Order: sequence, then structure tokens, then C-alpha cells
Amino acid sequence: MELTLAHLYPQHMNLYGDRGNVLALQYRAVHRGWGFHVVDVDLGDAVDWKTVDLIFMGGGEDTHQARIYEDFLRRGPELQALLDEGVPMLAVCGAYQLLGHHYRTADGAVLQGLGYLDITTEAGPSRAIGDVVCETTLPVTPMTLVGFENHGGRTFLGPEGTPLGTVRVGKGNNGTDGSEGAVKNHTLGTYLHGSLLPKNPQVTDLLLQWAANRQTGGPTPLPPLDSTREMAAHDVIVKRSKIRHV
Amino acid sequence: MRFALAVWLGRVAGWVSRLTGRGGSSLPGLVARRIDPQVFIRLSSHLPQGVILLTGTNGKTTTAAVASHLLRASGLKVIHNRTGANLILGLTATLLQASRFRLMPQGDLALLETDEATMPKASQESRPRAIVVTNFFRDQLDRYGELSTTVNFVRRGIESLADQGWLILNADDPQVAYLGENHPRVFYYGADLSAYASSPGGYDVADARFCPRCASPLHYRRQYYAHIGDYECPQCHFRRPVPDLLLVDWQGGASYPLRIDFRGEQFAVPNRLPGLYNAYNVMAAISLALLYDVTLAEISEGLEEFRPAFGRMEAVSIQDRLVWMALVKNPVGFNQVLETIQQDPHPDKNMLLIINDHYADGQDVSWLWDVDFETWLKSHPAGKFWASGIRAQDMALRLQYAGVDPDSITVIEKPSDALDDLLTKTAVGQVTYITPTYTALLEVRQYLTAKGYTKHFREG
Ligand SMILES: [Zn+2]
Repeated sequence: MELTLAHLYPQHMNLYGDRGNVLALQYRAVHRGWGFHVVDVDLGDAVDWKTVDLIFMGGGEDTHQARIYEDFLRRGPELQALLDEGVPMLAVCGAYQLLGHHYRTADGAVLQGLGYLDITTEAGPSRAIGDVVCETTLPVTPMTLVGFENHGGRTFLGPEGTPLGTVRVGKGNNGTDGSEGAVKNHTLGTYLHGSLLPKNPQVTDLLLQWAANRQTGGPTPLPPLDSTREMAAHDVIVKRSKIRHV
Repeated sequence: MRFALAVWLGRVAGWVSRLTGRGGSSLPGLVARRIDPQVFIRLSSHLPQGVILLTGTNGKTTTAAVASHLLRASGLKVIHNRTGANLILGLTATLLQASRFRLMPQGDLALLETDEATMPKASQESRPRAIVVTNFFRDQLDRYGELSTTVNFVRRGIESLADQGWLILNADDPQVAYLGENHPRVFYYGADLSAYASSPGGYDVADARFCPRCASPLHYRRQYYAHIGDYECPQCHFRRPVPDLLLVDWQGGASYPLRIDFRGEQFAVPNRLPGLYNAYNVMAAISLALLYDVTLAEISEGLEEFRPAFGRMEAVSIQDRLVWMALVKNPVGFNQVLETIQQDPHPDKNMLLIINDHYADGQDVSWLWDVDFETWLKSHPAGKFWASGIRAQDMALRLQYAGVDPDSITVIEKPSDALDDLLTKTAVGQVTYITPTYTALLEVRQYLTAKGYTKHFREG
């Protein structure tokens, strides 16, 4: 198996160790004997999307996000087609917001997003910062996800939106309805940094599984791989939150 | 009257908290400011040579330590705050306690290491005669959100600089250098190291590779580490200002002199601090000393005698094992420590990495994933690893994902236990590097002091 990951805007959208997610996917692919290639996609870069099996995009500072905004929207139709086809994508924080309908800033300006996920975001009164533990809707074990959130936006799911999980510790999407992130097809949008994937290997494996299935056109066995160390890091957060695994 | 009461009650609060073992460095400031909100203004206006504020992400403590050492060597009486006491309450407490029995602080000037977010207030109240800015890197974004917020704090601080005040800026950091644009009195320091190979292909966090004036990507003629180097914007032609003080030769080790060009005149000064980042700290300190008319001879002599602050790349001998300790708190700082470890030619280097996630450490450990362990490991000889601290498991996982053999990583959460284990499993003559986060550093110090290994440790 040879997988290619497109890392969107690694220069601009790389806040809070988001790169750890790429390293995690790479590690758990390579240690299964698979090939894993990372293609960096920067402003204006041409991409051969046919060769892409997985997509990752992280969050960025406002000024950096503003710089990639136009370029990202230009890629919208292409990207949307891939996501509809079932290419797995992980979008963290700023990238998650950009996949939604729009973002309303503190002074009322509305920035259009891709509209792929049925979510809208508005600037919140304060930043949500701290550990997050949530229970995910994804078909994985354990269902517990851990991470660290740090965002000023409050995100609300529309009628078609499915949350990635239910918050047990932390604020998640908006701090009021208990939801965190959003899922559509094989696209995961989330506020969880930490980095997310190293400490949640079950999600790393799910993304790899989806990518492999799509490439081969059917169920593809995922060779077993030890997760002791990953789960030890996961459990540190679960334990101190005094929550049991589900 | 109100002022005198504030000073005395503030001091009493300090004595009481020390007697009760709370060590409280901010309580005196709190008490005094409650009684007289103007207390810091009054205290600082009494200093004949005024106040200097020193800020920036990395290197504050080392730069302040070197600078106050150099200023003192020239005969000035310098008041200098303790590590960690760098918020407004700590700064107030520092001036309050600069005299035991007189009302006013006894000193010629105060050199205050100041947290970036405290800059607007500290500057407004003290009207500093000089502001030193070392660098801007990503650090503890869980506190201030984003880097631009931090830069704005410092910018606001500069607005309250005294009328004839000076800025001392790192010319090689674009965001720092940009603070000096259109300012009439700026002293720039920087480096021109033609022989220094910046690590190509390594992963660096891109904090500021974009022009601070027009946001276009910067072009680097030389890039030493992270975004530090000689740059120019191809769009608006904002470029690295010409440094008044220029580092022209740096050999890496802790015992090579620094070759410096000061407005066309070259001289060499002794240097005991390993790492290029420390050479920058020394450059900042020399700049400040020069501005205060310290002579080149006094600077040279002062640097010869200087010993690093606790935990800032300081070597100690523990049971005949050489142990280096270097505080880590953000990706760029950690990368610089790794590079310094790489420059140590010793064949057998062990590492104890201690990661806590208290408020003072940064509660988000995501930044460990931005440290470039991958590139560093390529040239790291065999050695054992210990991961410790509250987030020992995260550290161990980071090392494993970077390619360290899982069997050579030992996880022991309690730092003192990890250190004991390390001492029993390493041989006499081996070198160990300890890289703790802030509160972990305090834990290690406490442990080493209790064991009697820290007789020559100095307070940072
Ligand atoms: Zn420019």
C-alpha cells in the first residue's frame, strides 16, 4: 500500500503542533510497511488531486489565514468533489471553520467558507482554552477522544450537521450545546489540538483505513499495530478528568 | 504619606511571606499597589538613571543576567528582578525591596525583565529610558492566543518610552526590527556569519517568515535559526536594518570567543555560553552596556567572569557525571538546545526530558510536535532517553514518533525518581542533558539542593 497525503498550507496553517497529525498518520502507515508520501500544497501550487489519498489542514493565525483564504476558496470545487468521493480529510480549528458556510467576525463582517460542512461560526466573547475529552460518534474504540482546544470562534451545527462527538470536558464547538466538531462522509472537522492524532490512534487508524479502502475499492485489512504508548498519553488526560473510557 | 505606608506595608508583607515559607514574590507588590496605586511610578521615578525594560520570547533571563553583570562591572548599582517576578506585581515588589530601611530604592537604575503582556502597564508607569527586545517566537499560545497579540503588547509598551529613550532591538528578527521603523533612537544588534550553516531541510515553525510591513513572504540571504537571519522583502523592500553591533564570528562551543564588529571596529570577547541563541543574548547585553558607556575592556572582563543562571545551559557535576541543564519552553528554544547538544562532540549523550503542564509551563503540550526532533536525531549518536514530568507520556510518544527506539526510552513521571534512575544506569564520565519546562526546572533544583549537588548554583 502506498498512500499520499496532501498537507494544505503547511507554512500558514500550522498552529499548535498541528503537524503532529501528519507525523502520526505517517508513523502508523510506515510501521505497517506501507509507503507514505506527504505533498505540501502552498499558495498557488498545482496539485495532481488524482494521486491524493488523504488531506490534512490545520489552523493558523488570523493574518496567515487571511493570506490563504482566496487561494483556498478557489480550490473549493475541486476539493469538494474529492470529499464527496470519500477522500478522508482532517481539518483542525481554522481549517474546520473554513469548511463551513461562513465565519462572522467580531465586527460583523461575514467571511464565506466552502460550505461543505453544515456549520457556521461566529467570533465568541472569549477564547475557549483547555483540555477536552469527548465521546465520539465515529466507529472506533475507545470512543473517547482527548485533545486541547484554543479557539475564539463559536461553531454551530446546521440541520444537516453531525457532530464529531459530545463534550465531557471542555467547551467544544460553542460551549452550550455539548457538541464538538463535525463529520460528513470521511471528513472530520474538529477544534482538538494536542496534537489530536498521536494521542488518539484509533482515529489515525480510521483515516488510514478509509484511505486504503478507497484506493483498493473494497475492505482492506489494516495490519495490527501496538498502541500502548499512544494510549498511555491518551489516558493521562482521561484519568485527570476523572472520566471512564467508553 | 500614603506612598510611605504602601512601601512599608509592602515590605512587611514580603518579610512575613518569606518567614512563613511562601517565598511570595508578588505579595508585597499586591499590598503596596492596593494602598497606593502610584507606588511603582513613584519608586521608578526616583532612580537617577531610570528603568530599563527587557522583553521578548526567549533569552530574557540570560540577557538580563549578563547585562546587569556588565553594568555592575562598570560600577553602576543595578536593581534586577528575580526570575519569574516579571509581571507588574513582581516588578513593583522588586523596587520595593531594593532597600531594606530607606523609603526609596537604593540603586542607579533598574533592569527589569518584563513579561510581554505586562509591557504596556510597566512602561506606562516607569517611562523607561531603554527597552530591549530579544525576539518573538511562538510561546504559550494558551495564554495570549496568537503571536501578533504578543507583538502588540510590546508595541504599546514602546509608546511610553521616555522622551530621549532608546530601543535596543534584534535586527535579525523581522518583527522585532520592525518595531524600530521610524523611531529616532534605535540601537540594532545582529549577526553576519558567513561560515555558519543553517540547517537546511529541517522543520522550523514559521512564525514570522512574512514581511511585518506588507505580509509578503520574506527572502532570506542567510537564515540562522527559525526566522532569525538576514532578510529582505521582495515586495516593499523592508530589510534587515544595518546592525550597530554585529557578531561576525561564532564557533559554537562554550569556550570560543565571540568576534564582534562595533561600528567598524572589531574586537573579541570571551563567551561561556553554548548555543547561537546565547550568543544573541550576549549581543543584546553588550548593546545595552555600550549604551550605558561601559567600556570594551570592562565588557570583556565582565564576560570572562560571568556564570550562567540556574538551568540556562549550566553544567554541574553529579556523582562524577557531567550534567547540563537547559530550560525548554517553546519549539524554537528547544530546537536551539537540541542544536547545542548536537555540537557537543561527546560520543555518549543521555537525555532527561521533563515536561510539566502547569500554567507557568504552558498547559498545552502541542508545541512538542513542532520541535524538530526528526532532523536532530539523524546526527544524534546512541544514548538513553528518560521522559519525565506530568506529561512524560506525551514526551515519550513524541520521541518514539520521531524515530527513537522505544526500548531506549524510560518513562518515570516523578523527576527525582527519573534522575535517580538515570544516575544508576549511566556510567561515570558520561554526559547527560536535562531539558525541563519551567516548573520542572524548579523541581529538579529543589531535589539537587536537597542532595547537596547545587552549592554553586546561582539564583537566576
Ligand atoms: Zn514587505
